[in-house]
Amino acid sequence: MRRPYLPLALVACLLAPACGQGSDRGVTLDFFQFKPEATAAFDTIIKSFEAEHPGIRVVQNHVPNAEAAIRTRLVKGDVPDVMTLNGASVFGELASAGVFRDFSKERVKDVVSPSIQRILNDLGTRAPGEVNGLPFASNAGGVIYNKDLFARHGVRPPSTWQELVAAAEKFKAAGVTPFYLTLKDAWTALPAFNALAASIPPQDFFAQRRAGKVTFAQAYQDVMAKLGQLFQYGQADRFSRGYDEGNRAFAEGKSAMYLQGSFAIPAIREIKPAFEIGTFALPAAEPPKLVSGVDVAVTMAREPAHPKEAMAFVEYLMRPEVMRAYAKEQVAVPPLKEARSEDPALQELMPYFEKGSLIGYPDHHIPLTIQLAPLLQQYLIDGDQQGFLREIDSEWDKAMERRS
Amino acid sequence: MSRAFYWMVLPAFVLFFVFHTVPVLQGVYYSLTNYPGYGEHAVIGLRNYVNLFKDDRILDAYLFTFKFAIVATVLTNVIALAIAIGLNARIRFRTALRGVFFIPNVLAILIVGYIFNYLFANSIPAIFGGTSILANPELAWVGIVIVAVWQAAAFAIIIYLAGLQTIPEDLLEAAMIDGAGAWRRFVSVVFPLIAPFFTVNMVLSLKNFLQVFDHIVALTNGGPGTATTSVSLLIYTGGFQGGEYAYQTANAIVYFIVIVLVSIFQLRILQRREASL
Repeated sequence: MRRPYLPLALVACLLAPACGQGSDRGVTLDFFQFKPEATAAFDTIIKSFEAEHPGIRVVQNHVPNAEAAIRTRLVKGDVPDVMTLNGASVFGELASAGVFRDFSKERVKDVVSPSIQRILNDLGTRAPGEVNGLPFASNAGGVIYNKDLFARHGVRPPSTWQELVAAAEKFKAAGVTPFYLTLKDAWTALPAFNALAASIPPQDFFAQRRAGKVTFAQAYQDVMAKLGQLFQYGQADRFSRGYDEGNRAFAEGKSAMYLQGSFAIPAIREIKPAFEIGTFALPAAEPPKLVSGVDVAVTMAREPAHPKEAMAFVEYLMRPEVMRAYAKEQVAVPPLKEARSEDPALQELMPYFEKGSLIGYPDHHIPLTIQLAPLLQQYLIDGDQQGFLREIDSEWDKAMERRS
Repeated sequence: MSRAFYWMVLPAFVLFFVFHTVPVLQGVYYSLTNYPGYGEHAVIGLRNYVNLFKDDRILDAYLFTFKFAIVATVLTNVIALAIAIGLNARIRFRTALRGVFFIPNVLAILIVGYIFNYLFANSIPAIFGGTSILANPELAWVGIVIVAVWQAAAFAIIIYLAGLQTIPEDLLEAAMIDGAGAWRRFVSVVFPLIAPFFTVNMVLSLKNFLQVFDHIVALTNGGPGTATTSVSLLIYTGGFQGGEYAYQTANAIVYFIVIVLVSIFQLRILQRREASL
């Protein structure tokens, strides 16, 4: 009767990373890292951390589709010691469910800019006053543009909606694609949607929507009309091109503008564009505001296997010089008390950070189960604005009913 | 002696029970809760099941999946049977050709899917003009059918080939002497005799196509919009990305029952018309 258990034990041994390892080799931390573009950057950070802490080994785990992966791990009750996650709705959901540690009494949180910490806390915490994650890098949603093409056609970065449309018309008339669009990947409609949805509807829209006092059909007509208008200025095969192809095409100078956040800049630079990259905030309303989110949030398990070592690694990550070095490499803004990036491509956005006229991503308030991105993709294909608004209102109501 | 037989069955039974039956029972339990996949949860009775029937997105996924599965099953079996008859005839390079036609079965669907994705997005528009059919909400499902049939036919061919080799030569000779033409021999002798293999292929392909997942992930990811979202893909995206683990587990359990019922129904109908020697 005992025999069937032997293979089972062997299998279990193969699955458990630490099986058969002696404790004399020190502590191994399981570090879940969500951003495929940043794998090498974190390898460097880990190497210097390990040099400083000889008893600790950090194993970086990075997977495609990290948000689904972290959920599948949590379903199995397997919480990584230290994690980075995108500061989006999944982070808020997991924080509210009490998966993450409370940093509100830790000194390590003091380096962070309070306004950026608030953007992260607004996504959700286990209890009011808790801090369940620390912003490690901020991004900026805007429009990336090709400074050469702008100069050659005598166009200045637009600061009003009319100027933006006029610029797109001018490029179109000159035979230059205004925006390179990549709608094969549905999510690439989100940066522009967020910029519009952040400025046009009333600021308390989501609170009102949750209370059932307003609908998307009432407040989002202008957002969707403007989104549809922008996406007409794309290339013909916009529905069969993906994000990677878009980065390449923009880097090769195939369009004047690119509707992506600052996080796309490192990928574009990798293709060595022969022009200078600039950015401006999408001028959806006046005065324009900049959509900024926490690109990378650092957090750890509520009850990690090695609390002291995990905290040491978090403290190392949150050192200002580490954050600055990371931000420099990844073209992010370090969310320190004086948030500032030296990157030339982001200089035009720095005034928004200085004035604090930042606004979080609206789509983080929309439950993921609604599948906003595919719905936007559908709308941009068939142009059925009322159909889109009806669908998102009905999906919202269904999701809220299932949650209650 | 009889004890020994039990011992032979036991390991497989234990593995099956531990790794299959227990998770299924766990799933049944979770489908009665509001479990998001982590953290705390409470039992909420049949509310997930009630909500399932109010969700038009789930109905859309069922309609798409059945449309896809029926078309793909018919095409796979027609094409596979035709190729199998060809490969069973006395032709040159018969063994080599049999190998070639089997290759799609050993390739990973995801990789095949990405290659076809490139073909649809770049090569075909470059030759014939237009844009990718995968970007067209009305036609994207045709692209998935093409890839699925191409890949699934390989396995069906092998089963049909095995069936064709069970037909005794003398029966065909007798039919020929009686003056039966090629079509007559196929309809009256060959097809009735390979009917059990036809049953197996129909049941397996329909079941596999109803669970379609990899093809869609590689080709369209459920899009454009939600035009090609199959039930399995919806369970995955809603359950893991959307954070509605319990709700989609309820969906999975209903779908499991649907597939079992469809398979039993199919077996009943098809087995009734099998002939035997």
